[in-house]
Amino acid sequence: MNETTMQRTPTTIPGLDRLLGGGVFRGGIYIVQGAPGSGKTILANQLCFGHAAAGGRALYVTLLAESHSRMIGHLENLAFFDRAAIPDRVTYLSAFRTLEDDGLKGLVDMLRREIRSKRISLLVLDGLVSAEETATSPRELKKFIHELQTQAGLTDCTMFLLTSAYMGQRMVSAEHTMVDGLVELQSSTYGRQSERELQIHKFRGGAMIRGLHSYVICDNGIEVYPRTEALYAKPSRAETADGPTVSIGIPVLDGMMGGGPSVHSTTLLLGPAGIGKSTVGLQFLGHTDEPGLYFSFNESPQSVLVKAKGLKLPVAQRIKDGQVRVHWQPVTEAVVDAVCDRLLRTVEQNGIRRLFIDGVDGFAKLSTDTTRIGPLLTALSNELRARSVTTLSTAEMDLAGIVPGQPLAGMAVRDMSPVADNIIVMRYVGAHSHLHRLVAALKVREGRTSMEFRRFRLEPGGLHIEADAAVAERLLRGLEERPEEAQALQSAPHIPDHLGRGE
Amino acid sequence: MILRTVLVVDDEWAIAEVLEDILSDEGFRVVVANNGRQGLERALAEKPDLILLDFMMPVLDGPGMLAALAEDERVSGTRVILMSSLPEATVRERCSGYAAFLRKPFLIDDVLATIQNIVTS
Repeated sequence: MNETTMQRTPTTIPGLDRLLGGGVFRGGIYIVQGAPGSGKTILANQLCFGHAAAGGRALYVTLLAESHSRMIGHLENLAFFDRAAIPDRVTYLSAFRTLEDDGLKGLVDMLRREIRSKRISLLVLDGLVSAEETATSPRELKKFIHELQTQAGLTDCTMFLLTSAYMGQRMVSAEHTMVDGLVELQSSTYGRQSERELQIHKFRGGAMIRGLHSYVICDNGIEVYPRTEALYAKPSRAETADGPTVSIGIPVLDGMMGGGPSVHSTTLLLGPAGIGKSTVGLQFLGHTDEPGLYFSFNESPQSVLVKAKGLKLPVAQRIKDGQVRVHWQPVTEAVVDAVCDRLLRTVEQNGIRRLFIDGVDGFAKLSTDTTRIGPLLTALSNELRARSVTTLSTAEMDLAGIVPGQPLAGMAVRDMSPVADNIIVMRYVGAHSHLHRLVAALKVREGRTSMEFRRFRLEPGGLHIEADAAVAERLLRGLEERPEEAQALQSAPHIPDHLGRGE
Repeated sequence: MILRTVLVVDDEWAIAEVLEDILSDEGFRVVVANNGRQGLERALAEKPDLILLDFMMPVLDGPGMLAALAEDERVSGTRVILMSSLPEATVRERCSGYAAFLRKPFLIDDVLATIQNIVTS
């Protein structure tokens, strides 16, 4: 196949064309394989109606003795279904009797005549397994596929053959080697959670994104979510050069960061529950006119607004005015790539320039494969940077206090460089039955950090950070002088919220 | 010109078979051969009105069959449509005497339009 001469036809399945680099090739022949219940019929009908909506003509041929009206009845509630497209733009035919009476040759003849007489440009043949059973030898089946393939090319009709054969049974069969592409739908179970996965095993003539990708069956039909780290292995656009610094919304913290984070940078805010991380996020979104997004894995939009009002932060008005959007993704059950897609689409559609992700570890909690999280967050950070977004994220660390002489002991900051240009750490320190809050800029691009702890208070208006490190220094020196107190604080139990996370 | 019999000569059996089926649907009498030598025999036996001839084939290729057709006055006037995945400029360096050229892969509509052009010319 020649990429330069072959034209593509979009599948119109959300996400699938991104895996295929723009769609399948016109006049190509593709197998869609999956166990019963995997969604093959929905996918194939979605192909037909999407094709018809784009001006093409689709023919859905069943080889099994099942009722079309029953199948159509199951499709009626799906968004892509359009009754008006039937029968002129989407036609349903049964070839069960033709196959029974006239064999594969009769089926080929019937398909050829229907394709030509109805000017069909997309054909679905549902039930390839029946053709396989009818074939008297593997050679006859191969001949049948080859004839279909030739017909597809000669008539410019793209063909999809559906089969429920399980991939593992026969990895290399005649039909697999001959067709232009092979898509498999499967379901995997992780603990008690099951996830639908799509894999393209073969795609002649073009590049594709390999590996397993999640898909869901919803009211819109099938939606495919390419693996974020594969889709954005490289950012989708050139990253704009670092501009000047922006304010994080807290002047003293800006000063500790050498003037603030660079524009389009990503900043990670580490700290235990209740220390004020999300308040920093609210201040970050509140003091600027740039469109903002509060993407919360922890609190609902109503809770965020109540908190903003309670602290008398200007962001409350910006949320009410719609200048700052609040999206909530509970850490219950969701497809992590769908969450990334939703985040990036919200950013794109609303021209978001400031993003606050409250609880970036939510991505890991939603993922069925935690080994992906490093690459996923790296890809997401790179893509946000490329889309001119300045991002602040929080990650929760345990409640353990500061170890004398090692104030950052126990903090997991390894492998964070690709994810965070800047790291701010917030910690508790105990002295005389009282807990104090400290903050330090741990890592800032170009090393602009002051490298010192400052004490801060949470009060109306937000964080009040002391102008110098004098009090923080006295507190830390006091700990060094009373190591037993520090030890007790270090071993204090983690105090989670009622869901075991968040502030 | 009235076309009744078409000879399809192609070593790719699926293309030959599908062309046979489609041209039969269009009302032509279709004869098939799978290489140039077989094609020459069928041409002499059936006296087709038109030959769809593949360029690259075993035993005797398209240029070889074209040359043989030209040398035999019984079939030297038969119109030939040459088919190849190679560009026509490359094909033209190797042979001449064909009425039309079809670049593979082609659409059946292109085949029918080319045949129609030959009929009307």
